[in-house]
Amino acid sequence: MADATPETTATDRPLGLPRWAAALLPLVLLGVLAAAFVVTAPLAALDTGGGALPDVTVSHATLPGEGTLVLHVTNNGPDAVTVSQVLVDDAYWDFQVRGAGGDATLAPGQSAQVAVPYHWNPGWDLETALVLADGTTIGHTVVAPATSPGLTAGLLWTLAVVGVFVGVIPVALGMLWFPFIQSMRRSSLNAVLAFSAGVLAFLAVDAGVEALELAESVPGYYEGPILVVVGVVGSLLLVQSVSAWRRGRAAAGDERATGGLWVAWLVAVGIGLHNLAEGLAIGSSFALGRVSLGAFLVLGFMLHNVTEGPAVIAPLADGERPRLRQFVGLGLVAGAPVIVGGWIGALAFTPTLGALFLAVGVGAILQVVWELRGMIATDAGVSAGAILAFLGGLAVMYATDLFVAL
Amino acid sequence: MTSHDYGAAGRLTAALESRLVSGLGGDAGVTRRAVLGAVGVAGGAGLAGVGGGTEAQYAGGDHEEEDHGTHGNFGAVGEYADRNFDPHAYLRQFNTGRDGQSTVEQRVYEEDGRTVREFDLVAVDTTIAIAPGVEFEAWAYNGQVPGPTLRAVEGDLVRVNFLNAGRHAHTIHPHLRNLNPAMDGVPTNGPGVLDQGESFTYEWIAQPAGVHFYHCHSLPLKEHIHRGLYGALIVDPDPERVRENPRAYTASEGPMTDEFREELVARARSRNHEYDDGDADELVMVMNGFDTNFDGDNEVYAVNTRAFAYGVGDTDGKGDWAAGETKRPIQVDGQRPVRVYLVNAIEFDPINSFHTHSQFFDYYDHGTTLTPTHRTVDTVMQCQAQRGIIELDYSDHEPGLYMFHAHQSEFAELGWMSFFEVV
Repeated sequence: MADATPETTATDRPLGLPRWAAALLPLVLLGVLAAAFVVTAPLAALDTGGGALPDVTVSHATLPGEGTLVLHVTNNGPDAVTVSQVLVDDAYWDFQVRGAGGDATLAPGQSAQVAVPYHWNPGWDLETALVLADGTTIGHTVVAPATSPGLTAGLLWTLAVVGVFVGVIPVALGMLWFPFIQSMRRSSLNAVLAFSAGVLAFLAVDAGVEALELAESVPGYYEGPILVVVGVVGSLLLVQSVSAWRRGRAAAGDERATGGLWVAWLVAVGIGLHNLAEGLAIGSSFALGRVSLGAFLVLGFMLHNVTEGPAVIAPLADGERPRLRQFVGLGLVAGAPVIVGGWIGALAFTPTLGALFLAVGVGAILQVVWELRGMIATDAGVSAGAILAFLGGLAVMYATDLFVAL
Repeated sequence: MTSHDYGAAGRLTAALESRLVSGLGGDAGVTRRAVLGAVGVAGGAGLAGVGGGTEAQYAGGDHEEEDHGTHGNFGAVGEYADRNFDPHAYLRQFNTGRDGQSTVEQRVYEEDGRTVREFDLVAVDTTIAIAPGVEFEAWAYNGQVPGPTLRAVEGDLVRVNFLNAGRHAHTIHPHLRNLNPAMDGVPTNGPGVLDQGESFTYEWIAQPAGVHFYHCHSLPLKEHIHRGLYGALIVDPDPERVRENPRAYTASEGPMTDEFREELVARARSRNHEYDDGDADELVMVMNGFDTNFDGDNEVYAVNTRAFAYGVGDTDGKGDWAAGETKRPIQVDGQRPVRVYLVNAIEFDPINSFHTHSQFFDYYDHGTTLTPTHRTVDTVMQCQAQRGIIELDYSDHEPGLYMFHAHQSEFAELGWMSFFEVV
């Protein structure tokens, strides 16, 4: 392009226009065409008077008290819909629509809450249905109703404590393997790194499956499965771009950009995102009254997450020991998001948010696994021992995961 | 609305209402409906305050929840906006040929020594309101569901000029003792089904005396009936025929004394709209339902189409209530007998029922007898197309609300829930 050729003049002024004008030309023509379309309505013959069918999702229900039931509703369709009546167990019931601008009509893509004063019975399923203006019914079953705890300082504190035990402490304990790992021979170290990659790969699969499950309850408007795929690919590319930037800096001779510390930070971020999603699951289960966070469950989580510690520090093993505050930082980035996730999950859980967080975690982890492979692989490829260690990571995570059925 | 004093409840509601209305003053954008709705909300809030109910907490919200602190209230929310059909007017609208609804062309004349009552009925496709804010695409005789109530006297000729203006083929089939198969309104007889734009004049002898039913008999039958093509057809007993053949009008097998004969004649006179002795408040109630989501099950049940139309506008569930503009009890004079012409036009459910609170009644199955077929009952059931006459006496009841409803609880909670307000 930089070569001077006879065409240079032409490409400087494409179609004889300034370059900026040439860039805008297609957009301007598109605008003109759109305007003409609206004005002349050339497809009027295709308008048979039919409209799209109403598409409404009740994503979930919350039960703030024994006398109230709240249905979370999203209008997925291209037309506004009106919630004219509400049925609870085949009976018309009082209700109020909140968050739809004061009336019961939801614009396309709008979400709202339908609050029903209903004295439900704990454990007795509720069959609810929204009756739209044309008589369409949108059903939702509230399985085994239980009070949602709601927002209290006590709940936030509980979730913070749970987060510390489930996220921060296990990761910190796992990081105490650092001196031991540092004393290892290269081949053993590679095995540890491969084991970490196995741990991460398991987390990716686990979170991916969960994200797709959750995507089923995402209102159609947000295209749950596509949201998950975009979340995974998006976060993978984002972390990859950070990594590529780091390599560029290293190639340019930046001392700090070389070495395992960068990879360690990437691992910490990946695991942190995963733990955010884990916290989300804990928080939302808690908010929906679906879980009792007993000692056994917390112990299970600790066992499960302790393997995340060595995954974070393994990339540092063949370099100098970083400063203590680096360790603290890595531990917090990897572990503390459980607390944040727990809060978000308890306060503002929606399947859409949950699926998105899970997907973002998957993408970040996949990139880190790829990064770790780069550290382990030699010219001869990945050694048999490392592959078995990877498998070991998967197996250990599967086994410890059995303890944390939420 | 009504000037009747509802006692303490009425005063409470009126006070709340006037405070709100005056508070909103000259705001032209505020409709009476909105104000009434606000009264309900204010009432609920007041109640929660009195009860000291717990402040409900919302996950992730800034909502100020007024937890009613009670079980909440069932019933349809809001008032009916569509005023094309008034179920309260429908109750007492009888088309006799001589007079009736302005929407029904009708005339009465003598022909070959017989009284002829002639009506024009048109089947149309229309949209009706079946619950506040819920519309149903109906097929309807003269645009209303149930169709116009036709009334004749035993032995009259009923002549119906039927035009089908709907998109589907329709008929009118009468539940009468009809001697000419061509007039039966079924696809196999006479003109069969009438396509769009076609018309036919049906002629039926009004017999036997009773409360009867007419409906479209096109196929698929379930759909043609449930879409709204039905109505009540009342045949008043002729006192002279009763005097000649009293045995045909009794449900009992006892001896026919002169005294009993005269009593039967008197009852026939009281049922016959052409005599003045009838002092009963006569009400037509057609029990029906609507499947709005095509699952073969009704989402709305009602008498006379509109869910909860004879219910109350608002209640706190603590004994206070207020009449709504379109949802309000049927007011009856306690000193007049009440006669209900009850017809079951339900589809999808095999039976329907009618149950009165604090009241027992005599029931005349199909209305074909002048002595009751059921004495002193508070619940009757009817299969599809069954009908009967219910005679109620509230003369020794205190004024106030008396509930009546289907005693299939599901039907009641889906709209077939009503009240008499005895005044």
